[in-house]
Amino acid sequence: MIDKATITIDGQKIQARYGQTILQAAREHGIHIPVLCDHPALPPEGACRICLVEIERQRTLQPACTFPVSEGLVIHTHSPKVIEARKFSLELLISDHPLDCMTCEATGNCLLQDLAYEYGVTGDRYQGEKHHYPIDTSNPFIVVDRNKCILCRRCVRACAYINGVEAISVFYRGFNAYIGFGADSTMQDSPCEFCGSCVEVCPTGALWPKMAIGKGRPYQLKSVQTVCTYCGVGCQIELQVRNNRIVNVTGVENAPVNQGFTCVKGRFGNDFVHHEDRLLKPRLRKYLLEGGKREGKGRGEWVEVDWDTALDIVARKLLETRDKFGSDSVGLLTSAKCTNEENYLMNKLARQIIGTNNIDHCARLCHSSTVAGLAISFGSGAMSNSIEDVTQQAKAFFVIGSNTTEQHPVIGMKIRQAVKQRDAILIVADPRQIPLVDFATLHLQHKPGTDIALLNGLMHIILKNGWEDKAFIEERTEGFEEFKAVVEQYPPERVSEITGVPQELLLEAAQLMGQNKPMAVIWAMGITQHTTGVYNVFSLANLQMLLGNMGIPGGGVNPLRGQNNVQGACDMGGLPNVYPAYQPVTSEEAAHKFAQAWGAPMSTKIGMTVTEMIPAAKEGKIKALYIMAEDPMMSDPDTNHVRECLEACEFVVLQDIFYTETAPYADVLLPGVSFAEKTGTFTNTERRIQLVRQALQPLGEAQPDWQILCEVANRLLATSSSTSGRTIDLQAPYARWDYRHPKDIMDEINALAPSYAGVRYERLERGETFQWPVKDEHHPGTPILHVGKFARGLGKFAAVDHIPPAELPDTEYPMVLSTGRVLYHWHGGELSRRAQGLLEIYPKPLVEINPEDAQRLGLNGHRRVRVTSRRGSIEAEAWITDRVLPGMVYANFHFPEASANVLTHAALDPIAKIPEYKVCAVKVEAVE
Amino acid sequence: MVATSPITTQTDNPLQDGRKRAMLLAALYIAQEQFGWLSEEAIQRVAERLNLTVGQVKSTASFYTMFKLQPQGKYRIQVCEGLSCYLVGGAEPIINYIAEKLGIQPGETTPDGKFTLEVVQCLAACGTAPAVKVNDELYENMTFSAIDQLLERLQQEN
Repeated sequence: MIDKATITIDGQKIQARYGQTILQAAREHGIHIPVLCDHPALPPEGACRICLVEIERQRTLQPACTFPVSEGLVIHTHSPKVIEARKFSLELLISDHPLDCMTCEATGNCLLQDLAYEYGVTGDRYQGEKHHYPIDTSNPFIVVDRNKCILCRRCVRACAYINGVEAISVFYRGFNAYIGFGADSTMQDSPCEFCGSCVEVCPTGALWPKMAIGKGRPYQLKSVQTVCTYCGVGCQIELQVRNNRIVNVTGVENAPVNQGFTCVKGRFGNDFVHHEDRLLKPRLRKYLLEGGKREGKGRGEWVEVDWDTALDIVARKLLETRDKFGSDSVGLLTSAKCTNEENYLMNKLARQIIGTNNIDHCARLCHSSTVAGLAISFGSGAMSNSIEDVTQQAKAFFVIGSNTTEQHPVIGMKIRQAVKQRDAILIVADPRQIPLVDFATLHLQHKPGTDIALLNGLMHIILKNGWEDKAFIEERTEGFEEFKAVVEQYPPERVSEITGVPQELLLEAAQLMGQNKPMAVIWAMGITQHTTGVYNVFSLANLQMLLGNMGIPGGGVNPLRGQNNVQGACDMGGLPNVYPAYQPVTSEEAAHKFAQAWGAPMSTKIGMTVTEMIPAAKEGKIKALYIMAEDPMMSDPDTNHVRECLEACEFVVLQDIFYTETAPYADVLLPGVSFAEKTGTFTNTERRIQLVRQALQPLGEAQPDWQILCEVANRLLATSSSTSGRTIDLQAPYARWDYRHPKDIMDEINALAPSYAGVRYERLERGETFQWPVKDEHHPGTPILHVGKFARGLGKFAAVDHIPPAELPDTEYPMVLSTGRVLYHWHGGELSRRAQGLLEIYPKPLVEINPEDAQRLGLNGHRRVRVTSRRGSIEAEAWITDRVLPGMVYANFHFPEASANVLTHAALDPIAKIPEYKVCAVKVEAVE
Repeated sequence: MVATSPITTQTDNPLQDGRKRAMLLAALYIAQEQFGWLSEEAIQRVAERLNLTVGQVKSTASFYTMFKLQPQGKYRIQVCEGLSCYLVGGAEPIINYIAEKLGIQPGETTPDGKFTLEVVQCLAACGTAPAVKVNDELYENMTFSAIDQLLERLQQEN
């Protein structure tokens, strides 16, 4: 088949592909054809008539954006006839357009203005009626000025094809036509999710980000390409900066993950950087200055001090603690919000200088069960495939325990696109009616904590019908017979009884899974945050091996990582059991390697997890905690207990950008900086390493976290050598802390972490991004893991049985509480509560409760409820909704005034030590 | 046990299933017939039945002049102003005559909700122009006195 057509554009012969439009072919060859309605990311529309071209042997001018190429076309893009027609269209557009360019926000960034300039169109040719629509500023994010709308329908298509919720339509017709939202209401009252894709594609000033208004012209702004700091998807964004302030955020068009689009948080949630709560100077408790001791529970007043004073005291206290109580009396919490380089340094600080493996971070609380589970099943704990191959090639998706459209919105959008645009099958298993269910082929609404039973049940049916991939099981796995024996115990009748999912649905789901290959499995906290977290992950690994979906595009195990750099924080040894690149601390070989590199003896004893360190503080085993950008008071289970532990801890250093909920329990506050004020790398959920570029000078006296860590380390090293502490051989190749730039830290990582060996700044700066393992500086990275062979050799089937959650409802606490997040907020809310728009649109905590329960409790409409568990009690407004099953409530942990973690309990998975956030027993009462 | 039942989908998607979009015009006609006009409720119900968004349904409904987004009179009087009707002296005088008799302008509805007056392009009755249509009934060779009789009869009907 011939797939190329030779066409001639303005005398230039080019090879176009069949199926392309003239405009697409021209664009690909760098030939400029002006257009307003067409956008490379959107399907052609043919609305604006600006791209009309003259095609020889065609009677009339044709729109280049919809005209398909064919062999021998001869096209003129700027013939007199074309130019005349273009001018005519522009005159008509401008006849009903406010000519207020001097005050218009879009000036300098407006396609209509550019074209008017290019064609000398002034707007005085046609005089007639003009629209005077009121400007809609009712939502916190986007200003809608219909007077500037040219009805190109880019926004309509962006909402349908990029986001997928179809919140925008054109109403009425002719002169009366206008862009409207939902059922012709305001944006806020429509299904709009404020991802801002419409703003990204709007060619004029009709849709404009509210935060950018009056903040500067495009040519006054410095534009810096970096990576979003909210979730683990790793969208590239461009920060528009003026006078050291972020005034606007746009997407990066050629970004591998997001292709120019973002979610509401990434685009409109970055003003937290400039929030007045930023810590701009180091602070100490007064008693420290006076050389005294803490008395009682309280820590006394704060005093602002200079950096030297603060750092000296931190170094002195850490050293005292280490030398008096031993290395393992110090605990370090590193941060999934910080860069790889910073996490590497924290790991080095713990292991080289302090001499402990007591280092951990909030990955413990989200995907530690994934990391542990997949490492056992396959030999690597990371997402096996790429966002691109999964969302473009999976024939079916099985999304279990992931509220993807709210938590990983850009991946959620891509799943919606796959369902809508290429009929991909979507099976959602979730106890809640999450928004993705609207797009699902099937929804398996199983009871919280019954994932293993559900999965065993599905695999039982798959095996009974012979839908398993026998060759794959034979060649690439072990442990199948034992696994099969267990799965045989899960016939549909039993599974239906345990899970509450009707048998017919189980049969349908199993059939869809068995007959649609490749299927990608996607999961998040709904799987991991259970006492059976690791076993849940085993079950998903079992499923994908059973179906032969591993090591192929469109398949794989795809845990969606939460924080922007939680993958990187794990990769960099921010865990108590491994050095960077998952080299076990228990391995003599690894200990020797790092002892040689860092010039210090290494502990081979696995350290404490965060869920062990904090309680150990109360028991007196942990005397000092160094916390970098973590907020255990919001993120850890059983807040009241966490408070007691932190109160008991003798010395707490907190390095953060805000006075967080944890700050009252700290002795020293070291002001770090946000992602916008530093350079480094983040590793996203699909193991992609991307460059974070500094856009702002650090605010106040705050310093990049890597610099602070170097300052602390160098002080410790200097003092260390003169006391009887650990001896560190500064002649060892990587013993020193004299980094001048994060690049120097990455050089060290290259040498010590094999999967990052080829991650060179020169490559990243050239715009390369790659997924680890990157074996050397020429290696292109590894988009898909386990191709042909698992990291551990054979994949390991694990025989796992259903185990009920640790705390089940009883007569006193009759309901099940599940916890999580919402679209407009992030984690403990430290950032999103300080982003004006996000707080405005979702200002207070809501507890989701089923209408049946609401009626039983006598809640009419919106009423306050008190939710009480064995550990604590919160009061919040009820959101009566069938998103949750009867007997279940759902609360988030974004707001300190009613955080779900007051209620949750620290029942841990025995292997991963992850708490069971997703199930605990509560009672709910109406508040009078 | 073998799962042999055909796969049914809980949720069909609008773009996924082009046929549903194709049914939209017909569905709007039916809804308009049932409700008399396309109220928000009617649009909502069409959207639910076809699994389209309310925006898509309203967008389409508002594009076509034959779909009414305001309440209509019990009798929709459509007067043709097509070429044939115009040439035989119909159209304008007839429109004005009815407008004056009912005290409303084209596009308006009488306060009692009984009559709506509309001007339309062609009723496919050129041979018997001038033509007027009331709801689905066609009236041909119209004169002022024929209009008097017609309106009188409609006034008396309930």
